[in-house]
Amino acid sequence: MTAAGLYLHVPFCTSVCPYCDFAVTIAGPQRRASYLDAFDLEIGRATARGLRFDTVYLGGGTPSSLGPGPLGRIVGRVRERLDVASGAVWHLEVNPEDVSPVAAESWRDLGFDFASLGVQSFDDAELAFLGRRHGADGARRAARTLLDAGFPTVSLDLIFGLPGQTRDRWRRQLETALELGAQHLSCYQLTVHDGTVFGRRHRRGELDELAEDEQAELYLLAHEILGAAGWESYEVSSFAAAPHHRSRHNQKYWDHTPYLGLGPSAHSFDGRTRWWNRRKLRLWAAALEAGESPVEGEERLDDEALFAEAVMLGLRTAAGIDLGRLRDRFGAAVAVVDEPAVDRLVAGGWLVRDGDRLRPTPPGMAVADAVVRAVLA
Amino acid sequence: MPPRHPPVAPGTMKNTRSFCIIAHIDHGKSTLADRLIQSCGGVDERDFRDQILDSMDIERERGITIKSNSVTLNYTARDGETYRLNLIDTPGHVDFSHEVRRSLMSCEGALLLVDAAQGVEAQTVANMYLALEYDLEIVPVINKIDLPSADIERVKEEIEEDLGLEAEHAVLCSAKTGKGIVDVLEAIVTRLPPPAGDPEAPLQAMIFDAQYDPYRGAVLLCRVQQGRLRPGQSALLMHTGKRYDVEEVGLLQLKRVSVPELDAGSVGYVIAGIKSVSDIEVGDTITDARSPAAAPLPGYKEAKPVVFSSIYPMSTEEYPELVRALEKLKLNDAALIYEKDSSAALGFGFRCGFLGLLHLEVVQERLRREYDLSLILSAPSVRYRVTTTAGETVWVDNPSYYPNPGQIDHVEEPYIKASVMMPERYLGPVMELCRERRGEGTTFTYLAVGRVELTSEMPLAEVIFDFYDRLKSTTQGYGSFDYEMLDYRATDLVKVDILVNGEPVDALSQLVHRERARGRALHYCERLEETIPRQQFKIAIQGAIGGDIIARKTINAFRKDVTAKCYGGDITRKRKLLEKQKKGKKRMKMVGNVEIPQSAFIAVLKTDKD
Repeated sequence: MTAAGLYLHVPFCTSVCPYCDFAVTIAGPQRRASYLDAFDLEIGRATARGLRFDTVYLGGGTPSSLGPGPLGRIVGRVRERLDVASGAVWHLEVNPEDVSPVAAESWRDLGFDFASLGVQSFDDAELAFLGRRHGADGARRAARTLLDAGFPTVSLDLIFGLPGQTRDRWRRQLETALELGAQHLSCYQLTVHDGTVFGRRHRRGELDELAEDEQAELYLLAHEILGAAGWESYEVSSFAAAPHHRSRHNQKYWDHTPYLGLGPSAHSFDGRTRWWNRRKLRLWAAALEAGESPVEGEERLDDEALFAEAVMLGLRTAAGIDLGRLRDRFGAAVAVVDEPAVDRLVAGGWLVRDGDRLRPTPPGMAVADAVVRAVLA
Repeated sequence: MPPRHPPVAPGTMKNTRSFCIIAHIDHGKSTLADRLIQSCGGVDERDFRDQILDSMDIERERGITIKSNSVTLNYTARDGETYRLNLIDTPGHVDFSHEVRRSLMSCEGALLLVDAAQGVEAQTVANMYLALEYDLEIVPVINKIDLPSADIERVKEEIEEDLGLEAEHAVLCSAKTGKGIVDVLEAIVTRLPPPAGDPEAPLQAMIFDAQYDPYRGAVLLCRVQQGRLRPGQSALLMHTGKRYDVEEVGLLQLKRVSVPELDAGSVGYVIAGIKSVSDIEVGDTITDARSPAAAPLPGYKEAKPVVFSSIYPMSTEEYPELVRALEKLKLNDAALIYEKDSSAALGFGFRCGFLGLLHLEVVQERLRREYDLSLILSAPSVRYRVTTTAGETVWVDNPSYYPNPGQIDHVEEPYIKASVMMPERYLGPVMELCRERRGEGTTFTYLAVGRVELTSEMPLAEVIFDFYDRLKSTTQGYGSFDYEMLDYRATDLVKVDILVNGEPVDALSQLVHRERARGRALHYCERLEETIPRQQFKIAIQGAIGGDIIARKTINAFRKDVTAKCYGGDITRKRKLLEKQKKGKKRMKMVGNVEIPQSAFIAVLKTDKD
């Protein structure tokens, strides 16, 4: 049996970015302390599941802001109480302002081998627009420091599709990332969510989103530049310099491998049921302190829902979907696709058909949501 | 606690007053009606709700009155006598002028309500002229005097200058606070005349509206002009020639209160075993079949539909529900007519006739709201008279049945006499608007200083397409509009088809004057371009007359449509969205291989933006 993934949510940020809609909070030392206590309790509850993990992912929020002490405590508890395989990949999300040679070394010492650095951009104006606390120099310095510390994979998060962003400006970000020597990139298109600062500005007409055609150009430019550098695009937002630099943890979300999420708002999945923790730090912690489950809700997926997800997630990855295998898994009555739509998508160059397998092309990845809508009958 | 007013014995015509309230929208008509009803103890506090005379949700929400209603109140005046007050609530819109006119005919007087802050406005004037046409005694009432922005002196001046009414004795009130309500009631009693009909003469009762009761059938609202109306009589409806046995008569006092008889001057209801509202005609005269009146009351005019549109269910599964809904709606809306229709693009539906665009909107809204139906409407059309080369006359209101141009000798379209009343300063722009809308013989006369009435002979087709909205914006709301049907005149008509990737969408075809064809085709193409989402391929949208393409727009294939992040917590949310979109996909109409959302069919009907 494939080993599961373990996700640990660290909800703290030193400031909330204007585009972010994640479960984050700015908390003082006391709440951080109660968070750590609650985390111990949740890890304790998780032992009963008897899962074996080969990926551990600390995300947030800003796990790097925890500082070596608290971070060490979490890592120690996980190793102590849960079954983590010896070859497991330990993944840490890092913010540039937390990076120093000392900190980087401490993260390596704790066993982290995949660092995702939230640089977002190497352009001061863009960083200011995004409300980030670091500048372009800080971003470069942080990336170099992580690489120098010997992380086997350093990944950089970049945001594209900012209002007014030109091809050249986006090209410079990608080229900088390559020059620095990063082995993995997550290129996220700026998304304006309701309930964020950007969402409110957009509603007031103060923030224009980039037009669809320009978004597409920038997205395809990333495929072009990274492809020319020998990189692979293995998921709509994920690029790796080589297959062994892919995020093994994220892959589990996309192929229905079980994962366990701990911490406020974290989601878990066992292959059939998905459940999620209370989103608010206080409520999550209070439940655990009271000896209760912090789970807020769950859904059991029937075959139709699992099939829809398999198509939805599979067509976001370069591997695509294997219709034969989906039919074996769910039965021919459930695993139905809109064949004429598939033919049109293949003819239009969005999908490639390879026996039973359908893979998205880069333009197909750019419209993966529309492709999925069309493919599902 | 409002005072209890004892009921009035029948036969006291001198103590009866029948009146309506005429006002511009938002000047407080419904609030004043509510307050008058409360002051006369017409309703228990716990039964009270705002806009009590408007029974339909759509009336209450939009602040408009569609159906006429009436209420009979008992009021003990300062002179010590008790009066029976019949308040007749009338619709305010030109589409329902039929009902308005019938209602006015049932009154002796009108309260002309003017907002103390807004002053005299367009509809105030239009409605006052209508009231004058029926010889009603008019009492000006200045409402909302509690507002800080109230300017009573200025409003009085406007009443004198714009309306030519004596403003010195205008009644001041605040329907909101109740201040001055007794003065309003006293003015009704002292300044409006009692009815004048002879109770001993042969029966003549005017039907001014009808309501539908699921248990009793049509409930006719009527005003007895002369004679007496009582159960057991054989009622003859003079225009339709139909006879019914009167089962019950009574007064409307927010609920039906049966009485032994309605005598001359009374306003009340009649139940006579009439199955549905569409069996009778508003404006008809009820008489006694055994000793009929010599002639019906004047002013009867058949309510003829002038605007036609096809209605299709968004999903073909909803067709049987649409059938049932229309049947039910028809029970309460005599003016609505419909017959089966079908479209290659949209499947089975109905061709419907309406009194005007507001009527169309109201029907559509009620179908959506009361029957939860999701509908597509085709472009509204007037009814054309086509003479074929064979010399035959064909009436066409549906583009699908428009004959081949080779078989057409000539076409005529209906004209109206439009009249617009407005302050003089808007005359230029309104004349320009009429010219743009192919108005002929446009003239104007001065009503009072600074106020003009313009009349123009215009094709009705030009009016049903956003004329009213354009007029309102051109005159900043000060222009009032009314029209009457005139005649049929020769026209140069073409059928414009809309093609999506070469496939004609029959529900979007329309009959248009040749001069207008290109503009209208382009408008349709633009709206479709905005509302049809990008799809896997390029979509050509074309407007065509026969084989000639006269307008064209292109929707490019989609290029970017993907959520950036999809990790643990995003997956459930994203799948649920997908499930919702799948349901939406069923609500898309496929034309060829193009998916057209319902919103596109609605958007094309929205008016031009300048």
